[in-house]
Amino acid sequence: MDRLSDVLTAISHPTRRAIIAQLSNGPARFLDVAKPFDTALNSVTKHLKLLERAGLIERQKQGREVLISFRGEPLRDVAGWVHHYERFWNERLDQFAQYFKDKKKKEKR
Amino acid sequence: MTKNSQNTLEFKFERTIPAPPVEVFDAWLNPQIPGTPWHEAGKLILNPKVDGFFYWTFKPTGTPHYGRFTEVERPVRIQHTWVSPNTLGEESTVTVTFRKQGENTLMTLVHSDLPDDDKARSHERGWNYFLDKLVDNLGSGSHRQAPLAITK
Repeated sequence: MDRLSDVLTAISHPTRRAIIAQLSNGPARFLDVAKPFDTALNSVTKHLKLLERAGLIERQKQGREVLISFRGEPLRDVAGWVHHYERFWNERLDQFAQYFKDKKKKEKR
Repeated sequence: MTKNSQNTLEFKFERTIPAPPVEVFDAWLNPQIPGTPWHEAGKLILNPKVDGFFYWTFKPTGTPHYGRFTEVERPVRIQHTWVSPNTLGEESTVTVTFRKQGENTLMTLVHSDLPDDDKARSHERGWNYFLDKLVDNLGSGSHRQAPLAITK
């Protein structure tokens, strides 16, 4: 999967969005991340793996502890996906290409 | 989307057009043709030669767009600057190339030097919609709603 798909997959689940919300307050240890959820630690680990694959979190070792922190940068990929000029030019170029396709069809008749 | 070291964005688009380059080139500079940037403008001034200027307003909103043609090489390449509220008044660059591909033309449009700025992004209806939804969803359930921090 491409990066954008990874990010969209990562934010498609309420638990993972809740994890992002929690981590946006600051880095936390794994057990603190898992605490609010009535779910197996194993399941939280899987959610974290998907967030990590999308680049939305990173783990940093601090002494004996591993801190998990939120990274917002990949959300910019999503922003880029719907950037004004991406929409603008795609719409315009589709219209432009369609004009020529229609013209060609008419010429064949 | 490409992000370069100057913190600007670049978007690249490609289309295969079923006509020869010269026809596609001329059509791109013809405001009568649907899909050209100048089509259905509220107000239009277009002088497509090197150092010629254009001005057009987006009909539904009246949003003004300005630019200066820097390269006009028929039928292979057009380059002009592009300034609008969506570029935060900064000068961005649009480069369009036309390459013969059998009976067709491979048209490539690159919009570069777009400022990557949170203010620019706030113009994005889609982005705002997405963020609003995300923040709504973050706030649902038993978890406390937190502001979404975007690190740079």
